[in-house]
Amino acid sequence: MKVLQKNTIYLNIIIYSVIILLIFPLAVMFMWSFARSWPWPYLLPQDFGLRGWKYFFNPTSKALFTLFLSVLLSLIVTIVTLVLSIPAAKSLAFYNFRGKAFFEIFILAPLIVPPIAVAMGIHVQFIKLGLADSFLGVVLVHLIPSLPYGIRILTNVFQAIGEKIELQARVLGANWWQAFIFVTLPLIAPGLVSVGSLIFIISFSQYFLTFLIGGGQVVTFPMLLLPYIQSGDRMMAGVFSSVFVLTALLFFIIVEKTIKSHYSSREYFYF
Amino acid sequence: MKKLAIYFILLLFLFSLVGCSSNGQGSTKSLEEKTWKEIVETARGTTVNFYGWGGDQRVNQWIDEILAPSLKEKYNVKVNRVGMNIDDILNKLLGEKQVDKKNGSIDVVWINGENFYTAKKNGLLYGPFTKKLANFNKYIDKDSHDANYDFGFLIDGYEAPYGKAQLVFIYDSAKLSNVPRNYQELLKLAKENPGKITYPAPPDFTGSAFIRNMICDIVGFENIKDIEPDKEKVKEAIAPAIEYLKELKPYLWMKGEAYPATVAQLNNLFADGEILLGMSYTPYLAAGKIQTGDFPETTDTFVFENGNIGNTHFLAIPFNSPNKEGAMVFINHVLSVEMQASKYDPNNWGDLPVLDNSKLNEEEKNVFENIKLGKGALPQETLLSHRIPELPADVIPIIEEIWMENIPKKGE
Repeated sequence: MKVLQKNTIYLNIIIYSVIILLIFPLAVMFMWSFARSWPWPYLLPQDFGLRGWKYFFNPTSKALFTLFLSVLLSLIVTIVTLVLSIPAAKSLAFYNFRGKAFFEIFILAPLIVPPIAVAMGIHVQFIKLGLADSFLGVVLVHLIPSLPYGIRILTNVFQAIGEKIELQARVLGANWWQAFIFVTLPLIAPGLVSVGSLIFIISFSQYFLTFLIGGGQVVTFPMLLLPYIQSGDRMMAGVFSSVFVLTALLFFIIVEKTIKSHYSSREYFYF
Repeated sequence: MKKLAIYFILLLFLFSLVGCSSNGQGSTKSLEEKTWKEIVETARGTTVNFYGWGGDQRVNQWIDEILAPSLKEKYNVKVNRVGMNIDDILNKLLGEKQVDKKNGSIDVVWINGENFYTAKKNGLLYGPFTKKLANFNKYIDKDSHDANYDFGFLIDGYEAPYGKAQLVFIYDSAKLSNVPRNYQELLKLAKENPGKITYPAPPDFTGSAFIRNMICDIVGFENIKDIEPDKEKVKEAIAPAIEYLKELKPYLWMKGEAYPATVAQLNNLFADGEILLGMSYTPYLAAGKIQTGDFPETTDTFVFENGNIGNTHFLAIPFNSPNKEGAMVFINHVLSVEMQASKYDPNNWGDLPVLDNSKLNEEEKNVFENIKLGKGALPQETLLSHRIPELPADVIPIIEEIWMENIPKKGE
């Protein structure tokens, strides 16, 4: 009993120090968004101001509109990625076909090859296809860093639940569509939530690809944020970064809550 | 199913081939023949995509809240400001040039110096167009060095001036009573306050400008302005300045072994009170920063007695701008007295006007004179009388290289 208590204390120490290490920089960032002057060696800002937040909420800065557009874009990318990943992951998990090992590696290629090398070529092709400077083009290019995660993680999810339950449904007379909707989908739903959240974050934080393919015509939130970080305007950077983190966090919480409340009474045998 | 997929892919490829050839001739041919009135008429109701650096909230706000509404009201032209670094803009244009895309998305670019040199050399710009602009003809001194050369490179009507910038040093009068007026006094100050002076490392734009400023102060602008872009020759010419920087090095912040990577970091160090001198290529940055509260009220600026280097920044039109008429109206309006004056006001931006004072009438002169510069700003006359032109664009990378090889090295 005592050993167990001691262990919990150690565990708590570790957990809380990790939380503090994560929260502390964010708190500093949030304070910078209000800090007019924060010279060394003071622990707290010496003067506060609302210049950054005023500019953020001012309609002429288009910051709120850009945020909305950015969330919409990332939502679309998330949905498209999931729709493409489910069949691909299922095939990789359950079926044997020629070159399967090759495809398993090949799918991870976008994580191995640096995106800049590929993106330049894609940009030229997209200009020819008329996809550059368009919303559709940006959605397509965001799929490149998103798909490997989507397929890879969902493959593991499928492997964990196995094929048997779905086959059971088929044996009992469900067609493949019913089996998918009523059996497979609920089973993989928690997996979809984690993958979806991850992909949302990946898409939401893309800077370079959006920049290159969107060409300034599709403006996402990181594109407003980066210039202020580069120019060293710590107040503006604090404001935009805080909103960035809060948006991602809010998305996590909303998705997590809605799905969890749906399935609260059940337990899952994977994870 | 499989066949369908193959057909689909083939179709995509086909589209990609068609895409290359379908764009027809734009209206550029007739544009050269149009009068200014016709250009203004054509521009009505259009949108201008303005691409430029977006890292200064006050500049962004000036464009969004003063320039854009005024253009809308006067010419019914809408402005879409896109914040993008010039390197990225040039990359985008180069990509579009490569596949010969005739209908681009950028109408006006904020540009100068070596970027203009690159853009013009690669045929990324439309022009010459400045002679068409009513306000350019009315207010700009066409014979001046500033209107003809951008970093020593012939402009040829491919860009119109937007504003003037000049390197200034920033200090806190509460902490420093005597400011250094030349390179010797700066060295003396550094020796008296070791670790309290530094400058951004090139290729930071302002850091590079600081080094050129020291070169001009030590060697003299006249002795270096016509130098060939040959490394050995440049090395020989600027040798005294490099020797000086070596002597200065041990008294710098972090003993000169590390330098702020950007001017923003330098000015943040200044704001935090860690160093004595800030600097900026925007002469009224300090005035603005006092207002936003980043710099203390006692902040002030100065230039060397023999002058500080300054340059002009410009607006250009890309070769594939879909709305060249709108772009011209935009640039023309930027050159109006009203816009130049509100841009000059440190409450808005604090950028030096480009209009020729002798071409303004009394009323127009008054508009500029009535603007209060406020704390931390040097009067325009002081800046203009202490102004050294920029060195040729192709010499700058060589100077940066020589600095890299000689100064940051350890163990000297």
